[in-house]
Amino acid sequence: MTRHLAERVSADLAAPPPVVEAPTDGARPAPRRARRPVGRALVLYGLLLPGGLVFASVFVYAVVSALKPPDEVLASPMRWWPSHVLWSNFAKPFEQVPFGRYYLNSVVVGVAVTLLNVVTCTLAGYSFSKFAYRGRSLLFLIVLATMMIPLEVIYVPLYALVYDLKWVNTFAGLIVPAGTSAFGILLMRQSIDGLPDEILDAARLDGAGELRILWRIVAPMMGAPISALALIVFMATWDSHLWPLLVGSDDQHRTLPVGLAAMQADNAGTTGVPMLVAAAVMALLPTLILFVLLQRRFVHGMTMTADVK
Amino acid sequence: MTSTTVRARRPRHTATTRHNWIGAAFAVPALALFGAFAIYPMARVFYISFFDYDLTSAPRFVGWHNYRYLFGSETFQASLTATAFYVVFTYAPAVVLALVLAAGLDTRLPGSGFIRLLYFAPVAMSWVAVSIIWRLILQPDGLLNAVFGTHVNWLTSDSSAKWALVVVSIWKETGLFVILFLAGLQRIPDELREAAALDGAGRVATFRYVILPLLRPVTAVVCVMAIIRGCQSFSAQVVLTGGSFNTEVINLYVYKTAFESARMGRASAVAVLLFFGLLMVTMLQLRLFRSRER
Repeated sequence: MTRHLAERVSADLAAPPPVVEAPTDGARPAPRRARRPVGRALVLYGLLLPGGLVFASVFVYAVVSALKPPDEVLASPMRWWPSHVLWSNFAKPFEQVPFGRYYLNSVVVGVAVTLLNVVTCTLAGYSFSKFAYRGRSLLFLIVLATMMIPLEVIYVPLYALVYDLKWVNTFAGLIVPAGTSAFGILLMRQSIDGLPDEILDAARLDGAGELRILWRIVAPMMGAPISALALIVFMATWDSHLWPLLVGSDDQHRTLPVGLAAMQADNAGTTGVPMLVAAAVMALLPTLILFVLLQRRFVHGMTMTADVK
Repeated sequence: MTSTTVRARRPRHTATTRHNWIGAAFAVPALALFGAFAIYPMARVFYISFFDYDLTSAPRFVGWHNYRYLFGSETFQASLTATAFYVVFTYAPAVVLALVLAAGLDTRLPGSGFIRLLYFAPVAMSWVAVSIIWRLILQPDGLLNAVFGTHVNWLTSDSSAKWALVVVSIWKETGLFVILFLAGLQRIPDELREAAALDGAGRVATFRYVILPLLRPVTAVVCVMAIIRGCQSFSAQVVLTGGSFNTEVINLYVYKTAFESARMGRASAVAVLLFFGLLMVTMLQLRLFRSRER
């Protein structure tokens, strides 16, 4: 649970407050820096665009390599393009290793961890934001403090615990320990803080129960932070390697990172290289596509929790 | 953005006492998970570090032995060196590069969104997949040597394997810091830049004396984050070198100690040292960034 990317952003519990009030999305005056657009354009198109293409060439090279016949992928001297395009490299992982199973496992674990996080973090965020009870500040402080505990520090006893629970090589072991996150709670509390109490009180006067208020009033208004939370948690879970390696290393429970690393280790020669690269490309596509589509959500979630003091 | 203070924050609570206790119950699922899977293991890691423990037989108390062993162990010290090398040579350039890129990308010119995406994309790719792709690029007959006309054995020599990891990680991590810097830059109102320009400040001077100081909170977060991420590095080493050729970073050392040598106690002792190391670095950096603000 402590491994999410963005939690490390918020490790800074004592950062000074943002110097400048953040404008809401899109509130920024549209024409930026009209002063000397020529210099800006020169830097952007002359330097940053070529640099960006160099960054992206890694991905392009991967796709091209995945389409090469095995004897061309590491030919000396290097071949830029395949003599003939071998689409079948993309089918081979499914035929030669249980790659479809790894994929399914990653989807199942990713979705389950994301749903759990959305539920637990929204509930806890709502609780810490809108209710007064003894010990609330202390509990919230404890939650924040867990951000200082990365998975890397605790995974040995965590594994021992999961081992004692007989959760090794089960989906419970892969999912439950990652079921909440301090980052998510912080994000949700920050967001729910902005909700006027009057709306909640009006609903209470109408006799609505607290869960009903959360489900019918709070959650629908929290679409933006909830989707940011879901995206960040899903991406982190998709990338997660160390923990699934410990608790899900058999073929039935391997997620993509564990499966890919095993394929790589088993594949000593060059014959399997195009297949391996094809598998890697397929493995990185879902989060890449999600990120391209929901980039603003990602940025929103990351920056919202980074300024907490 | 709501700025938060943990204490002294008292919103108007019109909910009744009963409502409030229901509200408290909403925090229970998250707190239960934290208790079981973060706080309990955190307490256990201190405890186990004083035992010889292999998971299957009963733990045997050994006092400070695990710590004494580590301070005398060359493999452990090598892992500290490898980690320090990796963190410094990956993240210092990555953070500086990210700041420069963010300054250039902070514009609304047509196509800037697409160009940003080129730098952000590696952030969204999984480490293992990326490492498999780079493994191919770093082969003796791979893309990198072909482009530069070199014949370096990137992944199989003591002198270059650690640099190979640095190259891969800069490519992978820079985008994340660009995202954070860019968000910080976009919160600085244009009026400040214009005022500086009216005062006759050039572009570089404006950046140095106006933008950079205003960006300090973001820089602090980025630097803390960079070091913590660096110390967590694992997948790239596993896939690219398996920890050979001076690339066995601390996290990989913990993994091997615990799960290949079945020395849970010794691995926990490393984890405890790592925890205090990260805590110290975080505190130190925050202090550094704060004191300079005055």
